[in-house]
Amino acid sequence: MLVSYNWLQDFLNLDQDPHDLAEKITRTGVEIADVKHPEEGLKKLVVGKVLDCKGVEGTHLHLTHVDVGEDEPLQIVCGAPNVAAGELVIVALHGARIAGNEKIKKGKIRGMESYGMICGLQEIGFSDSVVPEEFVDGIYVFPEDADVKPGQDVYEALGMDDYILDFDITPNRADTLSMEGSAYEVGAIVDQKPKVEDVFLKEDGPDWTDSLDVKVDEKLAPKFYLRKLTGVKIQPSPLWMQRRLWNAGIRPINNVVDVTNYIMLLTGQPMHAYDAKTFSNGKLEVRLANKGEKLTLLNEKEVDLDPNDIVITDGEKPVMMAGVMGGLNSEITAETTDVILESAIFDPTLVRKAALRHANRTEASSRYEKGVNWDGTEKAINMAALLLRNDADATVDEGIIKATDTKRKPVVVKTTVSYINHVLGTEISAKDMIKIFDRLGFMVEHDGDNIAVHVPNRRWDIAIPADLVEEVGRIYGYDNLKSTQPLLAETHGGYSEKEEMMRRMKAIVEGQGLMEAISYSLTSPEKAVRYTKDPKDLVKVQMPLNSSRSAMRENLMTGLVDAASYNFARKQTQLALFEQGRVYDHDGGTFNEHEHLAALYSGNTFAENWQHLTQKVDFYFVKGQLTNLFTAIGIDLEKVVYKAEGIKGMHPTRTAAIYIDKQYVGMIGMIAHAVTLADKALRGSELYGYEINLDVIIPMLTKGMTATPAPKFPAIERDLSLLVNKDVTNQEVENVIKSNAGKYLTALKVIDVYEGSHIEVGKKSIAYSLTFLNRKDTLTDKVVNNAMDKIRAGLENDLDIKVR
Amino acid sequence: MDLFDKLKELHEQGLEEIKKATDEQTLNKVRVELVGRKGELTKILHSMRDVAPENRREVGQKVNELRDLFNKQLDATKAEIVKAVLVKKLEDEKIDVTLPGCEGHLGSKHPINVILDDLESYFIGMGYKVVQGPEIETDHYCFEMMNLPKDHPARDMQATFYIDSEDLLRTQTSGDQARVLEKHDFSKSPLKMVGPGKVYRRDDDDATHSHQFMQMEGLVVDKNVTMSDLKGTLEMIAKHVFGQDRATRLRPSYFPFTEPSVEMDVSCFNCDGKGCPICKYTGWIEVLGAGMVHPNVLENAGIDSTVYGGFAFGLGLDRFAILKYGIDDIRDFYTNDVRFLKQFRKEEN
Repeated sequence: MLVSYNWLQDFLNLDQDPHDLAEKITRTGVEIADVKHPEEGLKKLVVGKVLDCKGVEGTHLHLTHVDVGEDEPLQIVCGAPNVAAGELVIVALHGARIAGNEKIKKGKIRGMESYGMICGLQEIGFSDSVVPEEFVDGIYVFPEDADVKPGQDVYEALGMDDYILDFDITPNRADTLSMEGSAYEVGAIVDQKPKVEDVFLKEDGPDWTDSLDVKVDEKLAPKFYLRKLTGVKIQPSPLWMQRRLWNAGIRPINNVVDVTNYIMLLTGQPMHAYDAKTFSNGKLEVRLANKGEKLTLLNEKEVDLDPNDIVITDGEKPVMMAGVMGGLNSEITAETTDVILESAIFDPTLVRKAALRHANRTEASSRYEKGVNWDGTEKAINMAALLLRNDADATVDEGIIKATDTKRKPVVVKTTVSYINHVLGTEISAKDMIKIFDRLGFMVEHDGDNIAVHVPNRRWDIAIPADLVEEVGRIYGYDNLKSTQPLLAETHGGYSEKEEMMRRMKAIVEGQGLMEAISYSLTSPEKAVRYTKDPKDLVKVQMPLNSSRSAMRENLMTGLVDAASYNFARKQTQLALFEQGRVYDHDGGTFNEHEHLAALYSGNTFAENWQHLTQKVDFYFVKGQLTNLFTAIGIDLEKVVYKAEGIKGMHPTRTAAIYIDKQYVGMIGMIAHAVTLADKALRGSELYGYEINLDVIIPMLTKGMTATPAPKFPAIERDLSLLVNKDVTNQEVENVIKSNAGKYLTALKVIDVYEGSHIEVGKKSIAYSLTFLNRKDTLTDKVVNNAMDKIRAGLENDLDIKVR
Repeated sequence: MDLFDKLKELHEQGLEEIKKATDEQTLNKVRVELVGRKGELTKILHSMRDVAPENRREVGQKVNELRDLFNKQLDATKAEIVKAVLVKKLEDEKIDVTLPGCEGHLGSKHPINVILDDLESYFIGMGYKVVQGPEIETDHYCFEMMNLPKDHPARDMQATFYIDSEDLLRTQTSGDQARVLEKHDFSKSPLKMVGPGKVYRRDDDDATHSHQFMQMEGLVVDKNVTMSDLKGTLEMIAKHVFGQDRATRLRPSYFPFTEPSVEMDVSCFNCDGKGCPICKYTGWIEVLGAGMVHPNVLENAGIDSTVYGGFAFGLGLDRFAILKYGIDDIRDFYTNDVRFLKQFRKEEN
């Protein structure tokens, strides 16, 4: 709502700087997003009277002489089509500043001296959307009632000396969507009672209330008032009204339409004016639209009406989308003589939905959806009739048709002074508190600590004591509240144990050099189940913004691969990314969320360097990183088993499922060629990564530990070089070594793997280093030799492996 | 030639040889020749019987003097040679210290999590628990319990990702409030919590909108929690995040789950309140919403709102990061461009 400071003066005596007032309103009631002073930045714009005007042959130009209140008239060349002798116009003198900080100087146009410029409204800063239609493509011409003289500044006559406060209201403060409502609010803030006037309307036409058969569904329109005016003379509104309209962001159209808009601005009650011919068959109905009905709105948009749209009909066809916009078929035109005025309350939700459905939010619909004062219906219709009587020579027919007239009782809220102080943390006396309610225009019954507050209907946002706390708090001033800390019994802050563990893991992988990514949870149904061992039922949203964001991910890897694609497309191919977040499924009839951790690598293990001390990231590098993570969180590596398994989206022969204590905890491997080949940016790249399920791993972890001293006795190392059948895995060999090594084997490391021409076909060579240690005594060679013999025998028996 | 002449000659010759040796090997050979067991000096001693007895003592003395001299000289020369070798070795080992080092990958925290971690540790220090709730939330917890009536605009299909008529992707972390309120035992302790997490809204992604973003919810409920406490708490957060010299203001606002509701602005850190494009020439930047917990929210969770009350606040972590780091496109948080992410390595905490 654009609130005119000058118009507010009708209700209040304001003497503060408008900017200071705006700041005060912001801190007390409604945020003032902006304060505009239309004349700001303009200079030397005066009223001129065109004395004579001649067309310049061969051009669209006119040569004029304009009286600007000086001794001599100015010669001005003007290109506007609507310039004519006798007009009062806006003249930018030599040295003037117009919109956009443009400077006007005297000069020559086609050899003719021009000592200024005759301006259109847009040229002095008006928005196209508020300029009256007849002046959109030309200069502005003051109307006869403007009361302006050549030479005087134009600002006051055009309302540009005003300050416009942009009330950025929250949905609960629809009461300020009118000048009267704003005046109550500002009045409460500056401690003045606004002068809000009643209407005294003289009806001089005949009683018309029996002439129209009006049928209204009370649920759709709990209040529905109509008035009839005859003999209306359609013409432009008086300048004072046009000024107020355009300063409020509304284009003046004609006196009838303008009055409906003006009344809406004044009272907050949306009004509508129909050409009375619309209802010449004597019927008017308010109902829900039927399926298939169409209506062309005033903005010439044809809409297919929805069975939840409220419409006003002539008994047959819709002529208005209730609360939103009128139909073209009931429009006020230059030929209109009789007018039916409507002042009504419509169901807020239906109006909001209709406006949203047809993408047609209007000043009226936005007021209806937030709530209109139920006590203003009659005043609004009478005020409109009065203005039309004055400005359009209309005859007001006797009587209002009140087709529905539901009453709403003002709310009385009971509470105590001490409750309000308790919540605010203040010590406001009962007297001061009652004074605050008085400023707001709320009547209070007071009995000791108890108060009963009568809330006028314009403030429908107030119903419970907490609402009164807000009123007292804000008028008292949030600036005046103390800044304290809650004085409460001690509480122990912190993370849950699970969260602690997740944070620990994030810190470790960050330390390993991974950059944290955050991806979207919504992805395509296909990507949602890629990289997922046993996909569950998907979580899909009903109305996705697009199909690539329609299902909740069941894995994090897909986001990291998307990130890789984005980075590769920008030539960033050295990637070490991780994400810790949730995955989602719909398994077993419930929606489940699991915490995962995933990492993705591409490029080299070290940044390219001149020593060439780097190698391409591969499966084993990534596995080593994951092993380090497991070690760092205290997982017994003996229990971690990697099994070659196929997982959708992963390389079929370079991927392992990871098990700990036989539970599947995640996977590791290379992203499938099928994925990278299908992505232009990733084509030919090798991406390796892992993803683990923290919901499974975290319960396996233990908190706390007992330290053991460093060994006091030396360890003995032995190497073992084996010739192994190619299809035997390292895991199988290690299992046999471990089961035969006895209790002193403390470490077993692969130190070499060779496959190639120097050994038998179908074989490979693996070399291990074994470390033996007795923590309690010095180990003898004999003990170790015994162990090695057993290992050799075991390998030969179980796996047919020869020691080289 | 008598022995004295021989000694004299050896004296000169020996020193000369020692002087000529430039490596340890040669020098050792010289040492053997001069002072070794079969060396020249030994030879002279051996030939003592040819010396007249009265001269033997003198010869013996001279030989010893000469041996000491040679040894001293040999040691000195050896030290020189060793030093020269070392100097040469060091020269050979010289490296260009200005060549670049071998850099590994350097990890980084996501900017939103930098902000989140900082806030969490701040609140933990003040005795708040960090609570996590589900992102797939029910209409009941997300809206109903939070006092959003059935026809509230936020509950439109247009604004919220519904999964079915009852389940949806949460549009706010406020649902965590309801869940915690239901469970908390107020006879044991006051409730102080923050609840961070992802939220979703049915907005098309552009520079200022994201269908997914992160919020943090805060809630303090007990018997004597006041709006002045809320004011004090919010001021501390704002100053902690945006700087101790920021001015703050509270503005009345509206949220269905709080009454009274306020929004907090901080004085623009770009122009210090003078007005600039960042604060849209108002001098103020909106940073969070808050209020006193609406009695309906408490009653919905089975808490007597005439006895208990408190405050709640909600802030956008993306927005905080945008403001704090001068980011102009929210999508930068979710495309994971490493050139963007790597800047935040320095923001580790």
